[in-house]
Amino acid sequence: MKHYLSSLLADPKNFIALRYGEGFDIEDSELGEFHLQAAKKKFAGLRDKVKALKRLSEEQGVEEISCFDDLIRVLFPHTVYKSYPLSFLEKSRFDKLTKWLDGLTALDLSHIDASGCTSIDEWLDLLDVQTELRISHSAGTTGKLSFLPRTRQEAENVNLILRDMIRDWYGDDTGPDLIETPMPYIQPSYKGGYYTMLRGAELRAELFGVTDENSLYLYPDRMSADVCSLAGRIRAAEAKGESGSIELSPGLVNKRDQFIQREKDKKESVSEFFQQAVEKFGGRSVFLCTTWTMLYDAMLEARERGIDNIFGKDSVLVSGGGNKGYDLPDDWKEIIFRGLGFDRAYELYGMSEMMSGFPVCEHGHYHIPPVVIPFVLDPITGESMPRSGTHTGRFAFLDLMTETYWGGFISGDEVTLSGFDDDCACGRKGLFLDTAIRRYSEKEGGDDKINCSGAPEAHDKAIEFLLNAAQ
Amino acid sequence: MTDLFEVPLVIRGRVVDDYSRQFPGRMGSHGFATADANDYIEQIVLNRPSDMADLYSISFDEIIEYLAELGPRLALDSNPHMHRAFELSRSTSGLSDSILRYAYETIPAAFASSETRRVAENLVGVDYLEGWVKVRDGVRVRAFGSRAVHIIAGNVPLVGVATVIRNALTRSDAVIKTPSNDPLTSTAIAQTMIEMAPEHPLTRHLTVAYWKGGDEVFEQQLYQPRHIEKIVAWGGFNSIKHISAYLQPGIDLITLDPKQSGTIIGAEAFDSPQRLQSVAAKAAMDVGVFNQEGCVNARVIYLVCGTDASGLEKARAFGQLLFDAVQNLPQSLSTPHKRFDAALKDEVDALRFVEDEYTVIGGRGNEGAIIVSHESEAVDFARDLACRVANVVPIDSVETAIKSVNAYTQTIGIYPDSLKDAIRDRLAFQGAQRLVSLGGACNPPADAPQDGIEPLRRMCKWIVDDTQ
Repeated sequence: MKHYLSSLLADPKNFIALRYGEGFDIEDSELGEFHLQAAKKKFAGLRDKVKALKRLSEEQGVEEISCFDDLIRVLFPHTVYKSYPLSFLEKSRFDKLTKWLDGLTALDLSHIDASGCTSIDEWLDLLDVQTELRISHSAGTTGKLSFLPRTRQEAENVNLILRDMIRDWYGDDTGPDLIETPMPYIQPSYKGGYYTMLRGAELRAELFGVTDENSLYLYPDRMSADVCSLAGRIRAAEAKGESGSIELSPGLVNKRDQFIQREKDKKESVSEFFQQAVEKFGGRSVFLCTTWTMLYDAMLEARERGIDNIFGKDSVLVSGGGNKGYDLPDDWKEIIFRGLGFDRAYELYGMSEMMSGFPVCEHGHYHIPPVVIPFVLDPITGESMPRSGTHTGRFAFLDLMTETYWGGFISGDEVTLSGFDDDCACGRKGLFLDTAIRRYSEKEGGDDKINCSGAPEAHDKAIEFLLNAAQ
Repeated sequence: MTDLFEVPLVIRGRVVDDYSRQFPGRMGSHGFATADANDYIEQIVLNRPSDMADLYSISFDEIIEYLAELGPRLALDSNPHMHRAFELSRSTSGLSDSILRYAYETIPAAFASSETRRVAENLVGVDYLEGWVKVRDGVRVRAFGSRAVHIIAGNVPLVGVATVIRNALTRSDAVIKTPSNDPLTSTAIAQTMIEMAPEHPLTRHLTVAYWKGGDEVFEQQLYQPRHIEKIVAWGGFNSIKHISAYLQPGIDLITLDPKQSGTIIGAEAFDSPQRLQSVAAKAAMDVGVFNQEGCVNARVIYLVCGTDASGLEKARAFGQLLFDAVQNLPQSLSTPHKRFDAALKDEVDALRFVEDEYTVIGGRGNEGAIIVSHESEAVDFARDLACRVANVVPIDSVETAIKSVNAYTQTIGIYPDSLKDAIRDRLAFQGAQRLVSLGGACNPPADAPQDGIEPLRRMCKWIVDDTQ
């Protein structure tokens, strides 16, 4: 095994220190053996530390990983991080929620007393203060949030990988090193929150030298997890024609005055945001990290205001997130880049459960770094497709970078995986996904994930609901 | 696409052999080809209300005789149209072959004169259908048929059957919009009617068509008060929401909208092991018949067993008996689901990560599962329970179960009957629509109200003759 791979095998975190490009220069013949060895080691290391993994592996009769099929049997379903009952949130049973979370992390949470928490935000705050965890959440179809138990160190590593990617993706040192040379940072969203993207941005700001002076946010405050959950529940209930069935926790109702104040502060800032962006950073090179849909909304707004070519040519955009549930016009990218005034963009496929994103190349393929072991599963039987040729099916993976939670996960996405026996025309070696990716729930015509930060109107609706309910 | 099924458009006694539009099948099922309904809109609508007159040239007895003659002709093994409908359904339906066969085999009996006469008598009143009924001196009332579009559900073939019978009994004119998961059963009945009596008024007042729900060009022309008077809509929230956009004065919407059904089992079930076994067998019928594809099927089962440790033990024991009983249902009524809902499987799989809260019995493959809650709360995905997955919820008192009933509840199976009698009024206040002895949920009486309304009366126009 070449030195690079033995180094990753010794500690997958070496992926950060080694040159990013090396990860895409591995012979296919070596990758399989490395993946198997690394999976074996990771499983052996976490099996007795993460209770849920131990239980699953006992049930499946898997004591060690001796082949990829063993690994498939101990991957977590994509529902795992929201497998707690919604009533834990509705009835403020945060003691039980903590116990549930304890089963999913190698950290010991048995000493945490969360029984006094009355809202999700309070609970997340408590864990921030008393543990190394920096939980992030996503929004599920029912408004039940997925809680991912990632530590502060893991969250930092996510951003270090991002730094490497920006610097080296188009060739070593072709991009800026955002830690050594901080750039002004613009985020057309909340300043922070526990929502995956916002939590990542908040921690990144510290690392990338973002200060109040060299940054700009659409909303200067943090997004509430409670409101995000409520927004999802309202959307889900409306989709089923059951709006009459929503119940609010007393904790949420009691906090309504806080929300009213936030709304008052927020309303005028949309127009201010664009003025400030132009005034403060117009013509300068900046760093933007956001989803396509949020960026599209923002640049459409800019166009309506007659603003274009806002930033300097050396700016950096990191984007992704597909266009979840959005109908974008054919010229959506043109609208975005005309508004921005630069075209250095890094588009990633990723999900909150995975620490490294897959950057897209000029041939339209998402390239998978060696620290993620990808699988394509038959969507009906759940069996793995062969590690050869090209296959379409349900995306599953083991993320080697996680240290305190099991990175083995079966996603809800349909992907097409190639690269086992041929390389991408861009010259990079290794495995890659086609850019045509969709959620199975969309394919079957169901309701998709509710992307709450991408849909402020859902958020506003939640606040409105809360105010009406409280009257 | 070599395996496209041809689905003829039937317009009032005429079979249109035009298969110019193709529709893909859902989830790997057969696609089918049929006529473009837009090309036939002028013939599909009944413009002249006076064209209803021929239905009044026949007596009620003749209607009953017509249906009685039609029934035996619909036998699966001797009727090629029905056989084709069965073959297509094998691919489009969520029901396994053995269940489908059983369902098709029960179709002829629904047309028996004793059955149809009772339906007419109990749901409308034969006198009102047959003539002007004096309600007091000078005031007479008669139930006339109407021109209606029926958007039917395809979860079980019997929905189309009931629609044909109801249309005939009320002397109405029906345009049946078939569902893509059962595009052929109603068509096959209409074809058989044409072969039996091509000129008969009942044959001449049935149209069976498929168009894609949401085809606005077509629907805007169809849903006009000059063309139709009623819309009878079965099915999902989205379709009903969509149809409501066409409502205007002159069009009456009768909704048989999606409902959920449940079960309440009293503490008496635990009186003896034999009794518990028998209760589990009854509950298994409510859960498993027709693979839980119906809105009448039980999903959440409230069990008055207590919520302490011993209560929970009882709930688990009952859950195991129920699981076994579901697995042992006859093949003609219930089987492992042939297309187990993948999203539901993910939800069930996730429960093993919260084992303090739930016990899952089964659920490994497509066999179905019983989820026993450890607290008095149903699972978060209770609305999506299907494919023989049910949730047993232990409760201390029947009050918890009563409070769970709401406007989205249809049938509640109850054990014992004395409990049903004791709480039936309160369940009705909450929103429940049918209260039935445990085990009988899937056998609703054809001659009683449905979903809290009387669809047959609603299908009629109630005309008053007032002599003053």
